[in-house]
Amino acid sequence: MSADPYNARVREFFAAPAHAGRLAGGVTVLADDQGVRVALSASVADGRITALRFRAWGCPHLIAAGEWVCRHYEGEPPAALEKFPTARIMEDLAVPTEKTGRILVVEDAIQSLGRSLNH
Amino acid sequence: MAERMIYLDYAASTPVDARVLDRMREVAEMNCANPSSTHAAGREAQAIVADAARQLGNLLSVAPATLVWTSGATESDNLAIAGGARYRAHRGKHIVTMKTEHKAVTDVFEMLAREGFDVSWVEADAHGRLSPETFAAALRDDTQFASIMFVNNETGVIQDIEALGLVCREHEVLFHVDGAQAVGKLPIDLGKLPVDLLSLTGHKFYGPKGIGALYIADRPGCHVEPILFGGGQQRRLRPGTLPTDLVAGLGMAADVAAASIESDLAHLRSLRRILWDGIRDIEGVVLNGDPDGFPGILNVSVEDIEGESLLLALEPLLVATGSACNSRTQEPSYVLRALGLSDDQAQSAIRFSVGRPTTRDEVEFAAGHYRHAVARLRELAPKAAV
Repeated sequence: MSADPYNARVREFFAAPAHAGRLAGGVTVLADDQGVRVALSASVADGRITALRFRAWGCPHLIAAGEWVCRHYEGEPPAALEKFPTARIMEDLAVPTEKTGRILVVEDAIQSLGRSLNH
Repeated sequence: MAERMIYLDYAASTPVDARVLDRMREVAEMNCANPSSTHAAGREAQAIVADAARQLGNLLSVAPATLVWTSGATESDNLAIAGGARYRAHRGKHIVTMKTEHKAVTDVFEMLAREGFDVSWVEADAHGRLSPETFAAALRDDTQFASIMFVNNETGVIQDIEALGLVCREHEVLFHVDGAQAVGKLPIDLGKLPVDLLSLTGHKFYGPKGIGALYIADRPGCHVEPILFGGGQQRRLRPGTLPTDLVAGLGMAADVAAASIESDLAHLRSLRRILWDGIRDIEGVVLNGDPDGFPGILNVSVEDIEGESLLLALEPLLVATGSACNSRTQEPSYVLRALGLSDDQAQSAIRFSVGRPTTRDEVEFAAGHYRHAVARLRELAPKAAV
């Protein structure tokens, strides 16, 4: 039997992405590159990201990465968006190296969101 | 996986029929001899093989002596194409096939091109059909061999083999047909069809994997050179010890098919209609190929859906994105691209293939699940401009 291309985390996040959606009234950004799209929207209160939502068009790893970053950054200060843990995401989601570019699109979206929130 | 899986990939492979399994077990238990041996047990094995050839010959309306056992359709295609083109190389170097053929055909043509043969790749129309006029226009004075598949493995498109075969007869071109998706599923009378060589495999029609055959018409000039060497079996065309139990299984599968082919077709037509009616009104859904193609296959694309995510969202449906032989590459299907689909359309293509054991409940569930998966992925996707 050939190996399952998705680990348990990817399957979990793809099947039930709790952070999928868009926040009405939140700050929203879109990254569109490499044939995939990632949109993020965030609400901030008291210097913290109180809610972060994503939408994505792409492969299961990309969708899982959308859920991953929402879980990771929610509750953090907007300044945290300046650091993007590419290696941790690649490892946690067992992203094939040929899909690295798609994770970098998620990074683009996070950086864009950071610029929007920090200005 | 806790959920019950629903197998809708019968074009890739079919389950072995219980009667076939019984026959294989019976043969395996009663006879271990080499069918080439001359002692009593060997002669009994020979008789088992001969009986299977009679059964397969009956399905195809041909004499048993016109059949050569192989390991499956890929080997049959290789033997027919490489062996046929080389045998007739003195007549010319031009050989013809279609862009939408299976890799077991296209790769052999590419290998022959490297040997110095001149290959023409004819194009199908937008539905995947090859007209006799287009085919005839591709033939030249030095054309000596052509190969066209009966039923396309991805789209289910059925070619007009009789008309294409007549074109070949008119031009004295040796005509090979890849019948892997057609034998045992469509009525085929090779006594009447102008076909010189036909490849088939057992596991596409409820027989075992690892066994197939090549039909070689008994007519002047119709011959192939062997591609394997090492013994005198099967008139030196395909040496090697025959797997008696697999051969017997293929024979039984042919017998079962001969008795059930019409009822199978009616069943498949009904299932395909239920499936297509259940999804055809989804925005952006298109049927790839010929609406009147083989009813066991339904290939559909849907706009603005990413294919890999669609495939995962469709679990527990076991379906295919392309032919199983190249589905791991995640490249858009070259067959669908040849029909004019964009990369995105080809990438979202799903091949549902139903079979004898498929139930109405299963295809109704599949249609509903497909609708749900498409809706969910569209909901998840951001609009192009936020």
